[in-house]
Amino acid sequence: MEARVAGVPEDEESGLLPRPSAAGRRPSAAAARRAPPPPVWATVDGPLGLPLEEAEGHARRFFLWGFACLPFLWAINCCYFWPVLRSPATSPSSAAFSRIRPYVVRSAIGFTIFSVVLLTWATTFIIGGERLFGPGWNDLVMYNVADKLGISGFMG
Amino acid sequence: MADAAAATVPGEASSAAATTTVLDSLGEDITRIVTPVSTCMLLVVLLVSLLSSPSSPSPFTAAFSAAAGPGGGGDDITTALITAVTFVVAVTAATFLLAFLFYLRCTPCLRAYLGFSSLSVLLLLGGHVALLLLSRLRLPLDAASFALLLPNAAAALALAALSPASVPIALHQAALVAIAVLTAFWFTLLPEWTTWALLVAMAVYDLAAVLLPGGPLRLLLELAIERNEEIPALVYEARPVDPRHGHNWRLWRERTQSGAELDANSTVEVLGEVLGTNLGASSAGNLGVSAIRSNERVGLAGDARNLRLGTSMPNLSSDSASAQVEVLPASPEISVSVPEMRVPLIQPRPERTRDEEDDEDGIGLSSSGAIKLGLGDFIFYSVLVGRAAMYDYMTVYACYLAIIAGLGITLLLLAFYRKALPALPVSIALGVVFYVLTRTLLETFVMQCSTNLVMF
Repeated sequence: MEARVAGVPEDEESGLLPRPSAAGRRPSAAAARRAPPPPVWATVDGPLGLPLEEAEGHARRFFLWGFACLPFLWAINCCYFWPVLRSPATSPSSAAFSRIRPYVVRSAIGFTIFSVVLLTWATTFIIGGERLFGPGWNDLVMYNVADKLGISGFMG
Repeated sequence: MADAAAATVPGEASSAAATTTVLDSLGEDITRIVTPVSTCMLLVVLLVSLLSSPSSPSPFTAAFSAAAGPGGGGDDITTALITAVTFVVAVTAATFLLAFLFYLRCTPCLRAYLGFSSLSVLLLLGGHVALLLLSRLRLPLDAASFALLLPNAAAALALAALSPASVPIALHQAALVAIAVLTAFWFTLLPEWTTWALLVAMAVYDLAAVLLPGGPLRLLLELAIERNEEIPALVYEARPVDPRHGHNWRLWRERTQSGAELDANSTVEVLGEVLGTNLGASSAGNLGVSAIRSNERVGLAGDARNLRLGTSMPNLSSDSASAQVEVLPASPEISVSVPEMRVPLIQPRPERTRDEEDDEDGIGLSSSGAIKLGLGDFIFYSVLVGRAAMYDYMTVYACYLAIIAGLGITLLLLAFYRKALPALPVSIALGVVFYVLTRTLLETFVMQCSTNLVMF
């Protein structure tokens, strides 16, 4: 996963004279510009990922859908917008990221809470074993449940 | 000596400088398609080694023997041939149905079908494989965590496989490989003769469907070219090597679909120019160059030039790119359908936007110059190697090498012919031949050498 923040892309566009179309499409520019600012990529894929305009809507959608018992969407959100998470608050690109950042940060918090809870429970289950849970442990272990329900054979 | 060396070096340097872009990008392109194929095969071999023991009969053997009647065991050639032919007929019918739906512009149906199929593969097959692994390895995972994690992971992977613009590329590719691995593992559970008959039948079907004028895949492809649309299909597309060519390729695709800056005339013009042009080297660089030329000639202004770079043939690529979509239903004995769209990939066009995901059977070049390979190809390569793994690891190595060689040959043909090509026939043919030769000849030889302690 490359953390490409406002990296200068290797294409021929960087460093050229400002073009109205390119500059207009990249709203991350600072106020005064003598040269077009390098395009800012909010996603970890860089030029192949989402453009900045769509990133905010995307981040919000993933954040909201994550509440539907789908915490992995929060994880995808964090991974996809890694540059937004990792860019320091004072970098020139942070102005552009300011709309995206709240959603990504909250997704990260949500996923952290979920994974901590799940890992704690799973570790307790594995390490505690029968000593902690008593005979009920055998009823909760997945391979026993699968055997009981008859689904451990392939396609029943 | 020094003079000769010095004289040759500039010559080599100039020729190297001229050809560096071609070789570099081509080599990297090939690596980026061979790696996921190899990963898929490796995972299937691992799963097969872990989960199949020779003592446990395949659950399908009973079904087959019951269907075969008193004629013999469930695993004879007649049953195998009948099953294979039935499967191919079902696949052909499904592909014609898909072509028909595509003709009616029923894209939501196709997308819904894709979503349903990938989700069911991930949930049902993934769940079963996970349960088998847990049982075999005795991992003490509790039922609550499993019930929480499995639907979650299935939904996330299905989303990653279906809408590549929303997730990192790595995750999208991983999801496609996961779907292929699960489906291939399921296929390896068929009895032995049935598997081999199925592979050969699918290879022949692929060849016919893509290359014959009446083939369903070819029909679908032509429809897509004519309409300049993409066929919804599950296709693995390698990450473009040159980020310039892939500049905003996803964005470009969405814009093209919504915008249509090209009018029909320019599209046809560019299409004609592309088809008529002998592009020579199949490098992405050359494709990009010719794309730019045609772009400028047709006068497709608009966005920045680099945005158009990869997508000089946006409409063309999307059409031509999507070959035909073919749906693979499950074998008739199994009620659970495993729909996969198999589409032959073709697409020497430089800018091919990514299709939706369907399994595509075939190989081609994407619009950004990256190579596209259908998911059906992944699946059947892995089925062959998985079945070889059920015998011995020697056959695995031989079949792996055969398949990669076949893939290389297909890529070469793709670069040569620049049209949609079926990726199955060459690899499956080589794989089957190598499997038979290894099992009959090589194994005896190696065993005799080993037992007599003769090393090379």
